Amino acid sequence: MNRKKDKGFESPRPFKLTHQVVCINNINFQRKSVIGYVELTIFPTVVNLNRIKLNSKQCRIYRVRVNDLEAPFLYNDPTLEVCHHESKQRNLNYFSSAYTAAVSAVDPDAGHGELVIKVPSELWKQGDDLKVLKVYIEFSLDQPKGGLHFVVPDVEGSMAERGAHVFSFGYQNSTRFWFPCVDSYSELCTWKLEFTVDASMVAVSCGDLVETIYTHDMRKKTFHYVLPIPTAAPNISLAVGPFEILVDPYMHEVTHFCLPQLLPLLKHSMSYLHEIFEFYEEILTCRYPYSCFKTVFVDEAYVQVSSYASMSIFSTNLLHSAMIIDQTPQTRRCLAQALAQQFFGCFISRMSWADEWVLKGISGYIYGLYLKKTFGVNEYRHWIKEELDKIVEYELKMGGVLLHPTFSGGKEKDNPTPHLHFSIKHPHTLSWEYYKMFQCKAHLVMRLIENRISMEFMLQVFNKLLSLASTASSQKYQSHMWSQMLLSTHAFLKSISNVSGKDIGPLIKQWVDQSSVVKFFGSFAFNRKRNVLELEIRQDYTSSGTQKYVGPIKVTVQELDGSFNHMLQIEENSLKHDIPCHSKSRRNKKKKIPLMNGEEVDMDLSAMDADSPLLWIRIDPDMSILRKVEFEQADFMWQYQLRYERDVVAQEEAISALEKFPTPASRLALTDILEQEQCFYKVRMQACFCLAKIANAMVSTWQGPPAMKSLFTRMFCCKSCPNIVKTNNFINFQSYFLQKTMPVAMALLRDGQNICPKDVLNFILDLIKYNDNRKNKFSDNYYRADLIEALTNSLTPAMSINNEVRTVDNLNADVRLILEEITRFLNMEKLLPSFRNTITISCLRAIRQLQKNGHIPSDPSLFKSYAQYGHFVDLRIAALEALVDYTRVERSSAELQWLLSMAQNDPVHYVRHKILGMLCKNPPFTKTTDSALCNEALVDQLWKFMNSGTSHDWRLRCDAVNLYYMLFGLTRPSCLPLPELGLVLNLKEKKAVLNPTIKPELGVGAVMDTPASIGIHGFNTMEDEDIDMETVHDSQAFIHHHLNLLERPSTPGTHTHTHTHTHTHTHTLIAEYRNTHTHHCRGHYIHVTSYKQALDNKKKPAKPGSVRRTSTSAGRG
Amino acid sequence: VFSVHMVGEGSVSICRSAGKATSSPAENYLLARRRTLQVVVSALLTESGFESAEKAAVETLTEMLQSYITEIGRCAKAYCEHTARSVPTLSDTVVTLIEMGFNVDTLPIYAKRSQRMVITAPPVTNAPVTPKALSAGQKRTHPAHIPSHFPEFPDPHTYIKTPTFREPVSDYQVVREKAATQRRDVERALTRFIAKTGETQSLFKDDITTFPLIAAQPSTIPYLSALLPSELELQALEETDSSEQDDQTDGENTHIALDDPGADKENSMLPPSGVVPSTKASEDNVIDNPYLRPVKKPKVRRKK
Repeated sequence: MNRKKDKGFESPRPFKLTHQVVCINNINFQRKSVIGYVELTIFPTVVNLNRIKLNSKQCRIYRVRVNDLEAPFLYNDPTLEVCHHESKQRNLNYFSSAYTAAVSAVDPDAGHGELVIKVPSELWKQGDDLKVLKVYIEFSLDQPKGGLHFVVPDVEGSMAERGAHVFSFGYQNSTRFWFPCVDSYSELCTWKLEFTVDASMVAVSCGDLVETIYTHDMRKKTFHYVLPIPTAAPNISLAVGPFEILVDPYMHEVTHFCLPQLLPLLKHSMSYLHEIFEFYEEILTCRYPYSCFKTVFVDEAYVQVSSYASMSIFSTNLLHSAMIIDQTPQTRRCLAQALAQQFFGCFISRMSWADEWVLKGISGYIYGLYLKKTFGVNEYRHWIKEELDKIVEYELKMGGVLLHPTFSGGKEKDNPTPHLHFSIKHPHTLSWEYYKMFQCKAHLVMRLIENRISMEFMLQVFNKLLSLASTASSQKYQSHMWSQMLLSTHAFLKSISNVSGKDIGPLIKQWVDQSSVVKFFGSFAFNRKRNVLELEIRQDYTSSGTQKYVGPIKVTVQELDGSFNHMLQIEENSLKHDIPCHSKSRRNKKKKIPLMNGEEVDMDLSAMDADSPLLWIRIDPDMSILRKVEFEQADFMWQYQLRYERDVVAQEEAISALEKFPTPASRLALTDILEQEQCFYKVRMQACFCLAKIANAMVSTWQGPPAMKSLFTRMFCCKSCPNIVKTNNFINFQSYFLQKTMPVAMALLRDGQNICPKDVLNFILDLIKYNDNRKNKFSDNYYRADLIEALTNSLTPAMSINNEVRTVDNLNADVRLILEEITRFLNMEKLLPSFRNTITISCLRAIRQLQKNGHIPSDPSLFKSYAQYGHFVDLRIAALEALVDYTRVERSSAELQWLLSMAQNDPVHYVRHKILGMLCKNPPFTKTTDSALCNEALVDQLWKFMNSGTSHDWRLRCDAVNLYYMLFGLTRPSCLPLPELGLVLNLKEKKAVLNPTIKPELGVGAVMDTPASIGIHGFNTMEDEDIDMETVHDSQAFIHHHLNLLERPSTPGTHTHTHTHTHTHTHTLIAEYRNTHTHHCRGHYIHVTSYKQALDNKKKPAKPGSVRRTSTSAGRG
Repeated sequence: VFSVHMVGEGSVSICRSAGKATSSPAENYLLARRRTLQVVVSALLTESGFESAEKAAVETLTEMLQSYITEIGRCAKAYCEHTARSVPTLSDTVVTLIEMGFNVDTLPIYAKRSQRMVITAPPVTNAPVTPKALSAGQKRTHPAHIPSHFPEFPDPHTYIKTPTFREPVSDYQVVREKAATQRRDVERALTRFIAKTGETQSLFKDDITTFPLIAAQPSTIPYLSALLPSELELQALEETDSSEQDDQTDGENTHIALDDPGADKENSMLPPSGVVPSTKASEDNVIDNPYLRPVKKPKVRRKK
C-alpha cells in the first residue's frame, strides 16, 4: 500500500488532463451573464474510453465536441435537490446521508462528475493507440448564484464608472460553478485563459498576462493569460472590473488592483507586502513559485482572503489609510495568510481531501512564523494560546475534530465522527465552523511536529517539498512528474522522517489520525519531610471531545532557588508524580531569585507559605499537547506567576485563575501588571477585565476610588486637571490599546446595588466630552467606538421592564445622558462617517442593549433599516446581530421570517452566511426548548432551503444544515405530526421479508416504476446494495438512451427537473447508499419502534420529546 | 442785515449757549436757530406783502436761506484759513459775498430800510457742551525746535500705541472645557438641524423629537464612505503633519522600530512616507509590467 503511494498519485479517472483552455468571450454586467467555451486536452489511460465525466454546475451547456465531433452528453446534478421524495420525516440524519451521497456521486476525487460526455464511437473504435482527445464545451452562465459574483452598483453611468465588477469565489473546489472542468485539487494541468471584457475594464486571472488585444470594433479587449505551471482547476480564478492598477514599487512583477477611488488606500496597505515575500522566501529558501503575483480587492467578497494560483482575491474592506491603527495588523495578517497559501495550497496542492490538513497546517504554520517575526514572540505565543483555547473549547463542546479521516470500510458504522450531524467525508458537507477549527488544529499540530523535530528540520522538509514540486512543474506532462506537486499525508510524513530521522508516528496517531483533545486536572501537595512536590495529574477522557494522553509532559516548577523543568511520563495508571525540590524552604537571607530566562529578581516573599519553597508550577508550559489544563495552586502562587513569570501565556493563565481569588493581594498584583510598561499590552488588557471582576466581587470591602480610575487618570489625563483626558496622541500603540480598553473594563464595575457607580459613568461621559483628536496623527474611530461600548457596558436592567412604560418621560437620568451621547454619535456619523462605520456599529449594539435592559421600547425597525443592502457590510452584520438577538428574546416569528428571507435572497453571500451563523450562535429556540416559533411551516421552510434552496453555495447549505440541527436536532422535529400508520407498517413488512443478498435483476426498472414514497425508498436502499457505481452509471446511460435524451443534448435549467431526470438521479443516490444502508435501515427500524411506542402511548398526552429521546438513544446504542 | 448779522454770529461763534437743559443741548441749539430762521423768513415774507404762506413753502425758503448762510460761513472760513488765520475777518466775509455774486454795496442800504421788522433775539440757549475729550496721560509739550505757536500736541491716546489685550484664558482646564462644549454644541445643533430637515427614526414611539436619529440611507457604493478618510480627517492630518507631532514621529517610528526587533513592532506599520526605494524614480521608465503595456491593435490584415 505504501509503496504504491510512493510511486505517485493514482488518478481515479480513466484519463489524464494535460491542458485546458478557458475562453470567456462575453461578460454582460447588465444581465449578469457570461458566455464562453472550454477546451480540455486529455490523455485516455484506458483503451476504449467511451465516457468522460466532468464537473459542471449551473452552466448551460450548448454543445460538446470531442475532436471536432459532436458528442452527446448528460447533465445531472444530484446536489440541486438532495432529497427528492416529499419526506414527511424531516430527519436530519436522513438528509445528511443523502447529501453526502449526492456529493459523492459527483465527487471528482472519486472520478465522478455532473457532466457525462459520451465519446463518439468513431473515436473509441480507434482502439489502443490512446490518442489525445480534445473536449470542447460551449457554455453560458445566466445570473449565476454561485461561482461568480457580480457587483453592479445601481447608479448612473457606464459599468466602469459605476465600479461594477465580477469575481470568482467559492468554498473549496467550486470552479465547476463557472466553467466545466475537473474540479479536483489533484488533477493538474497547464492553462490558457482568455477573457474579453469592456475596454474600460481589466480582467485579472491566474498566470502571466501574455498580451492584451483590442477587438475589431475597439470597444473591447481580450486578456490572454498563460499558466505554464500545472495547476488544479479549483485554483483558477478571475476578477474583472474597472480596477485601478498599482505596480508594486518594490517588486515589479507584483501588481495590485483595487476599485476606483481607493488607490491611495491600496498604496498604503500594500506598502508592506514585499517584506512578507522576503520573509517566506528566506525561511523556505525557495523563490516564490509563480512568475508574477496579483492582489485584487473586491467588494462583497465571499471571504476576506482567498488564494489562487499566482493571485489572491481580498475583501476591499481590508484596505485602509495610514490613519487607521487597528486595521493595519489585521490586513497584514490577511496578506501573510494569502501568501503562505500561495506556496502550500496553490502551488503545492493536496492529493485528496484527507490530506487537506497538511497544506492548511503548513501554510498556517509558516504564517505563524511570520507573526512571530513581525509582531514579536509575545504576540505569537498569545496567538498560539488563543488558537489552542479555541480548538479545545470547540472540541469539548461539539466533539472531536479529525484531521486525517480514513474511510477504509466505507460503512456508516465506521463513520469516524459519529458525534457530528454532518459528514466529514467531503469538504462540501462540512460545517464552516468545523472547517475553521480544522484549520486551526492543523497548524497547531504542525507546531507540535516542530517541537518534536526542531524548526530547522521542519523548514528543510518544506524546502524539499517545494523543490520537488518546482522541478516537477517545469517538466512536460509526458514525464509523469506532475504528481510530485501533490502533497499527501504519507509523503509529508516520509519526508519528515527522511529529513529528521525521527519517528513522529505516535504524535501523528494521537493528533492527526484521532480526533479530540486532552483535558488535565492538576493539583499538588508539598511534602516537607521529603522535600518533594507531589503532583497529581488526572485526565478526563470520557467526556465528548476528549482523548486519553499517554506520553511525556513537561512541568516547570519555580522554586526559590530557580526554575526547573521536569519531564514526567503520563502513563496509564499513574496519577501521582513525585518531583524532588531543589531548594529548602524559605531562608531568611535576602537573595535574588533566578527566573527561567536567567533574569534574577527581588521578590517580596512575605505572601508565600513559609514551609514551602514553591513559587509557582506550570504544566505543559510550551503548549506541546493539545490540551486544557485546570491546575490548582494557591492564590499567592498565581500572583507570583503573574508578576514574575515572563511568559505571556503564563501571565494570561494567572490572570484567568485570579478571577477566583478576589483579594486585595490579587488586586495589587493586577494593578502592578497594568502599570508595567514592559509587560505585553494584551496581558495588561486582560488584566483590566480581571480587575473589574475582582472589584465587583470585593464590592463591600473595596477601598479607594473605583478600580483603574486613578491609574487611567495618571496615565492619560492632564497633570493640571485630572478630570480631563489629554488630547489624543496614539503614537505609542501599547498605551493606545490600553487607553481603549480600560474604560470598557471599568464600565463593568458594579456597586452594592449592582449598578454601575455614578463616578464611573461620569468619568466615561467626561472622556467622551473631552475627547480631542485634532492634534492626532491617527483616527480615533476605534477609541470612540470603545467609549460607546463602555457606555453600553455600564447599562443595567431598568426597574420596570414593562414595554408600555418605556417612554421618554420615564427614562432614568443616567440613561438619558447615555442616550444623548449615542444619538449624537449616531447622527454625526451620518455626516462624517468613521472608518468601517465602527461608531455606528457600537451605537447599534448600545441601542440593542438599552432595549434589552428595558430602558427603551424593544423595537426591531431601526436595526432592520441598517440591515438593508446598501449599507456597509460590517454595519449590516451588527444590525443583523441585534435582530437575531431580538428574535430570540421577543420570540418574534415575523423577525425570524424576515431574517430567513434575507438569508435566502440577499445579494451578498457573506451576509447570508452570517445570518445563518448568528442564528446558530444565538438560536431563537433549540431542540430542547419548547417555543411557539417551532412549527411545521418553519421546518418545511428550512428543509426546503437546505434541500434545494442552497445548491449554489456549499457553505450556505452547510450553514442551513447547522441551523436545522440547532433548532430541531438530528431526528424528526418534535413539532411535526406523527407519521401515518400505513407507512410504518409498510416499512416494517418490507423489512421483514427483505433479503439483502438477493440482487435484483433489473433494479433500475423497479425504481423507475415505483411511486416515490419514503417507505419504498428505504426499502430500495436495501435492494441496491450490491450494485456498484459502474453498473449504475451504465444503467443510467441505458435509460437515457432509451428516452432519446442523448440524441438531443440539452442542459436542464436550475429548476427544470424532468420526470426521468429525477428518477435517474434518485438511482444514483441509492447506489451511493450502498455504503451506508446498514445504519440507515437500522435507523428506520428504530424509528418504527419508537413510533410504535408513541402510538401505544397515544391515549396519554402526546409527548414528542420523549419519543425523540428514545430514538436518539437507540440510534446511538 | 439781520440775517447777515446772524450769519456772522452763527458761523463764527457757535458756542453761544442758551436753551433749557434738555437731554441734548446741541439739538436744542439747532432747533432754536432753525426757529429763528423761520421767523426771519416769515418776516421777510410779510414785508414783501404776503399774508399767508404754506408751511412747505416757508420750510423750503428756510432751507434755502440756511444753505446760503452756511455757504457764506464755510467760504469765509476757507478764505481766512487760506491766509493762515483761524478767525474770519470782515474782509473775508465781503470777499465771500462778492464771490457769490452779491452786491455788497446794497447791503448797508438794505439794512437801513425803513420797513424792516425787528425780530427779537432768539432765546438764549446753552450752546452744547463739547464733551471733554478723554484726556489720557500727560499732553506732550513742544520740543525745543517747534515754535510755541504751533498747535499743541493732541491727546496722547491719539498717537501713542498702547498695547491693549485681554489676558488670554490661560487656564488649560477652561480652554478644554470651552472647546469641548463648543464642539458638542455645534455637533448637537448641526445634527438636530439635519434631523429636523430630513427623515428621522425614533427609538420611542410616543416621542419622536427628543432623540431624533437621522434616518439610515443605503448608498449605492457603501464601501467608499466607510473606507476613505473624510476630508476633515485628511485636513486635520495635513495640519498635524506640519506641526510638532511630526517631529517626534518621523524619527521614532518609521526607522527605529524597524531596526530594533525588540521595540514595538506595530510601530512599523506607519506609512513609509516617501521611503520608496530611491532607485524607484530612475527605474520608473523601465518597469516592465504586463498591465502597463499598451493594448495591441487587432491583427486585421492577417485575417484578410
